[in-house]
Amino acid sequence: MLKLAMERTGHGAALGFEITKVEKGEVELLFPYQVEVVGNPLTGVIHGGVIVSLLDTCCGSAAITILDSRVVTPTMDLRLDYMHPAEPFQPVYVSAKVYKHTANVIFCRGSAWQGDRDNPIAHCVATFMKVETSSISLSSVMTRQIKRLFRSKSAHLVKEDE
Amino acid sequence: MIESSASLQAKLANARALKDPQQLLDFIPYAAFIGAKAKVKDNSVIYCLDKRPSNIGNPSLPAVHGGVIGGFLELSASIEILYTAKVQAIPRVVDFSIDYLRPGRYRTIYASCEVLRQGRKLINVSVLAWQDNQSMPIATARCHFLIS
Repeated sequence: MLKLAMERTGHGAALGFEITKVEKGEVELLFPYQVEVVGNPLTGVIHGGVIVSLLDTCCGSAAITILDSRVVTPTMDLRLDYMHPAEPFQPVYVSAKVYKHTANVIFCRGSAWQGDRDNPIAHCVATFMKVETSSISLSSVMTRQIKRLFRSKSAHLVKEDE
Repeated sequence: MIESSASLQAKLANARALKDPQQLLDFIPYAAFIGAKAKVKDNSVIYCLDKRPSNIGNPSLPAVHGGVIGGFLELSASIEILYTAKVQAIPRVVDFSIDYLRPGRYRTIYASCEVLRQGRKLINVSVLAWQDNQSMPIATARCHFLIS
């Protein structure tokens, strides 16, 4: 589900990456080189913004894996350090892990590399909020109220019958 | 696809002379990929990112992808450097940090940049993004670039 949602909607579909690993608190993906996202047309190196999107997606996906579906996780902040430029024409691998989560906040670390996993092109830290989806919480509140109303009405009816 | 350094120098000279930063965005494929635009208003540059389906992150709201907002702000900062600072090469990003303040609704996003410090090697740029109202920003970013 997560794999399909990330790969096939909106910007994920436009970038064209493939999620290669999903475990609780850990996600990896593979991004094949694309000329459309070049940032330096003198060298063919992809734009840093693509690395931002890939790491944001990967960290966000890792954050989702530790939660149930009623919670959404908007990004609070994201910080990237670029250790060296990406090699042009080569795929980029991205991994992200949740290293701590509290009642309200999820802390993630991510890394992007090409040939050597221990020599990353960039790494990042990102934090996410845990937010109950308003539509779901609204409907659960409504459900509770309807049930309460129904119980009091039926009790009333039972009394009248007596 | 690979452009020459001479064509970059020509674009830089032209964009600065005609006060048209859009020419610099046209030089960078990633700008067309996300649909970033630039125009000069009151002697400063306003960057725009129009809504398009390929920039959506959350289809149920719908909201613009946080990564696209980040990429757009980083791109805006690098164009600001090329346009306003006296540099001759595409700046290399060293670090980038973004705080998301509000969700990016499925509408045009605007951004403005400020060069806070320019040294010989390093330049620091601060970026602010908003939608309907500049006093209600949706994100703020800061970044360092190497310029030599």
